[in-house]
Amino acid sequence: MKPRPAPAAVAIALAAGIAASSVAIALAAASSAAEDPAGRDAVVPHPRDLVFPELRFEPPDRAKHRHELPSGPVVYVVEDHELPLVDVTVHVRGGSYLEPSGKAGLAALTGSQIRSGGTARWSPEDFDEELAFLAATMSSSIGDTEGSASFNCLSKDLPRVLDLFSDMLWSPRFDPQRLELKLSQDLQDLARRNDQTSAIEAREWERLLRGSGFFTTDRVTKATLGTISREDLAGFHRRLFHPRNFVIAVAGDVDARGILDALEGSLKDWAREDWPGGPIPPVPKPAAVPAPGLHVVDKAGDAGGKAAVNQGRVSIGHRAATRDHPDFHALTVMNHILGGGGFTSRITSRVRSDEGLAYSAGSRLELGVHFDGTFRAFFQSKSETVGRAARIVLEEIERMRKESVSGEELETAVNHVIGSFPRLFATPQLVTSAFASDELTGRDAAFWRTYREKVRKVTAGDVLRVAREHLKPEALVVLVVGDAAAIEKGGLRDAVEGKVPGAGKVRRIPLPDPLTLEYPGGD
Amino acid sequence: MGTAPWPLRRWGVFTIACALSVPSALLAQRVEVEEHVLENGLRLLLLPRKGDPNVAAGWVARVGSVNERPGITGLAHLFEHMMFKGTRVIGTRDIERNLEVMADLDRVKAELAREEEALRSRQRLGEAPEPARPEDLSVRHRELLEELAALAKREQDLLVKNEFDRIYTSAGASGLNAGTTSDYTIYFVSVPANKIELWFWLESDRLLNPVFREFYSERDVVREERRMRIESTPTGRFQEEFDALFWASSPYGWPVIGWPSDIEAITRDEALEFFGTYYAPQNITTCLVGDFDPARALELARKYFGRLRRGPREPPLVRTREVRQLAERRMTAQAETKPQARIRFHTVPDGHSDEPALVLLGEVLSGRTGRLYKALVLGSQVANDAAAYQRGLKHEGYFEAEGVAKPGKAPEDVERALLGELDKLKSELVSERELQKVKNQRAAGDFRRLRSSFHLLLQLLGRDASRSWKTINTDPPRFEAVRAEDLRRVAESYFRPENRSVILYHTQPPPAGAPGPKETKSP
Repeated sequence: MKPRPAPAAVAIALAAGIAASSVAIALAAASSAAEDPAGRDAVVPHPRDLVFPELRFEPPDRAKHRHELPSGPVVYVVEDHELPLVDVTVHVRGGSYLEPSGKAGLAALTGSQIRSGGTARWSPEDFDEELAFLAATMSSSIGDTEGSASFNCLSKDLPRVLDLFSDMLWSPRFDPQRLELKLSQDLQDLARRNDQTSAIEAREWERLLRGSGFFTTDRVTKATLGTISREDLAGFHRRLFHPRNFVIAVAGDVDARGILDALEGSLKDWAREDWPGGPIPPVPKPAAVPAPGLHVVDKAGDAGGKAAVNQGRVSIGHRAATRDHPDFHALTVMNHILGGGGFTSRITSRVRSDEGLAYSAGSRLELGVHFDGTFRAFFQSKSETVGRAARIVLEEIERMRKESVSGEELETAVNHVIGSFPRLFATPQLVTSAFASDELTGRDAAFWRTYREKVRKVTAGDVLRVAREHLKPEALVVLVVGDAAAIEKGGLRDAVEGKVPGAGKVRRIPLPDPLTLEYPGGD
Repeated sequence: MGTAPWPLRRWGVFTIACALSVPSALLAQRVEVEEHVLENGLRLLLLPRKGDPNVAAGWVARVGSVNERPGITGLAHLFEHMMFKGTRVIGTRDIERNLEVMADLDRVKAELAREEEALRSRQRLGEAPEPARPEDLSVRHRELLEELAALAKREQDLLVKNEFDRIYTSAGASGLNAGTTSDYTIYFVSVPANKIELWFWLESDRLLNPVFREFYSERDVVREERRMRIESTPTGRFQEEFDALFWASSPYGWPVIGWPSDIEAITRDEALEFFGTYYAPQNITTCLVGDFDPARALELARKYFGRLRRGPREPPLVRTREVRQLAERRMTAQAETKPQARIRFHTVPDGHSDEPALVLLGEVLSGRTGRLYKALVLGSQVANDAAAYQRGLKHEGYFEAEGVAKPGKAPEDVERALLGELDKLKSELVSERELQKVKNQRAAGDFRRLRSSFHLLLQLLGRDASRSWKTINTDPPRFEAVRAEDLRRVAESYFRPENRSVILYHTQPPPAGAPGPKETKSP
């Protein structure tokens, strides 16, 4: 048993942990409180009259936490000894864009079965039992462009759990029974993918914006799952999981030197092995150009005449810039004012507070990492008022491009982005995960250092300019999912005609066969 | 009141290490909260914690849908929305004119309610259709609607829109939100460490003199929220009906969001009365977790919350208890979802002496190494997923077991298999290893729950609303003390046929002409 530091030593270690982000706060001067006894007289009439002590915060320095292991991986470590817990995450480059053609679903299946299918030494049942008894959590997944495997355990169990984790990473068993079970669950999920309007909206939006063949769109069918074998999983795993493709994030109750040695110890033999298919090729870009216009998916009622859903879900937007665009900071501020800033933003304020037309309404601007990002304004409203709410959203997009934002709006957005900045680094896990993500996607370390300064410099003129350049009425795609007849009766087409190109003609997107993804009448 | 140099005082590593092998070991952590009660009865919990320069701040009112009655169901939640609409100071250009317009609005609304009742009585006789068309409304009814719209417009002109949100947002605060449950209503935000005085100012102000602006459009927002959460999801309405079936007399039988008829009819006067009754300081606990000086916080609490006057009477007690169930109840639903079964038993409220055994029983059954997964998913393969859990509410409680049928199996098969596993627990003791495993997971979970200041805040407030924040320290030993015999005993006491309700979901056939999978239809 490793002896633990006494509470006093914990205090010192904790202070060292904070050094990751140097914080200096001058708490409200005791003197002012002393000469200002508590009492209602002392309450200022409006919060704008409150005076706050200064808060200085510098984001943690990536270079100070970065280590390169001889076996290849880059490792970020942030020590934090407040609780006896450790988090370790191994990030890998690569994802579903590397699936062989006809095998859509292979990446996600591989991701799940690394964890679920046992290891060379452990049957899946014994592996699960061992982790459960140690009260450790462990998981793995592979997405479109990145994969990861991670665990959290009590620090006293770290050597044992790290050993199990290495075993899983290096030699997953891909147990056939577990694979069969997962395929049965996946097929059942596929069969139900026309149930929820939210799922339909997400699927069709991605298809409209990226084109139906692109790897980020839903392409998994009963047939593609049917072609996937255990050997496919093993091959896909070998391709992504190799120490030279790892970026590792470690946070919590560890000693940095100790964990680096332990990681190197478990990876060095593996690193000498062949890396088939490595290194990972770059992420492809979508070829298709989205067609603007009004697209409607009818979520019809049932055969027995039960009503269709009584609320329409709406997405309005287009493709957007990548995150290395020089307008990044101005765009962040612009979208905060338009629909990203909660109740202080224009879309939320008008659609929700003024008119009571929706519970959820706003806009997101996600700038792309590997290819174009997306701009999407959204709301859900009862069928009769979908048109009215859509009209408001389109007006607000247009107004962003026409008039300069008010000084107050600009100030609110800029202050918020700057003032909430320290929240991005609120826990050691957030810090290491931000570092690992930046490492993986090649973002410059200066990004966070200069972030607030660049936001502070954004002017109303900048906001107007980026709105004109980046919000594109001529490219607007409108997607509506709901009771089509009731929504159209509510005046949807009138609301968007003339504002969205080609909206005079409603394009109906039929629901596809959920198992084959064939769209009636062709696609 | 206790002062702790470190918020989380631990017993030390040896206890933690032993907890995994010695069942009777003391539990791991203690959360040392500084507790104060102001003269007006308001409770204040302070938990300073070093780390990021933010403070999670919130308060809870011990009121939820359980305190409502037929006619005003949903008021606790609607009220939560109204608390963001400002005060006499925040949210208006001219409070006097603002109040005049609000009084006019209420007058028109009251007359409108009489027109609506007249229409309703015609509908009861079948003389007017449901829902009514515009031409079914009386001339006066239509006039009133126009008047209402004009007044709402006049109110808008007097507002400083969303000023409450804007002040927080502009200060760099984030996560401003609130939540309503059947038992309590909680309001929270994360503020930069130098701005806790802003929190005291704004929160005490809205408890001191809230003004429920935009009342009627906010009712519409809540109707949209209901459509989004319940009416436009495949199983929302069935679950709501199942709750109503399960609770025969208890107020837990109506949904927290309320019945549609009530949401549409609740008046501002009813909301004001509700506020007077349940938002008195003696019914409220406030809490700060994060980077702050507790002495300063106490000073600010006295200065700001000290302004609130103790309510003249104590809030009324919840009187209606659930009557004892005499016979099994069941629902068979046709829905756009996977075939599944849910079985629910009446058990015990939060904190009852049988609760730890019931919670651990749920954990023995659930998860990847749980009995249901092993027996139903991996073993007999009747299900693709299964779980069970105890839910202790403030006044009552239940235990639920649920499973999703594997394609080719029926929900009835799942029901039988679930009941079979529950029956085993009545006659055979669970093994020591199984029991120790779930206790280990609880012990580690107790640490994981402390990682985020924000989640710690929610736990402390939620616990203080039900029993006391102290249960965060006093509950773990109660779980540690549970023996295998206790699990057997509670299984025998509660898992009785006359004590259960069952809902079976069959997959609804797709509408004629719409694509639907053939394979997954249940027999």
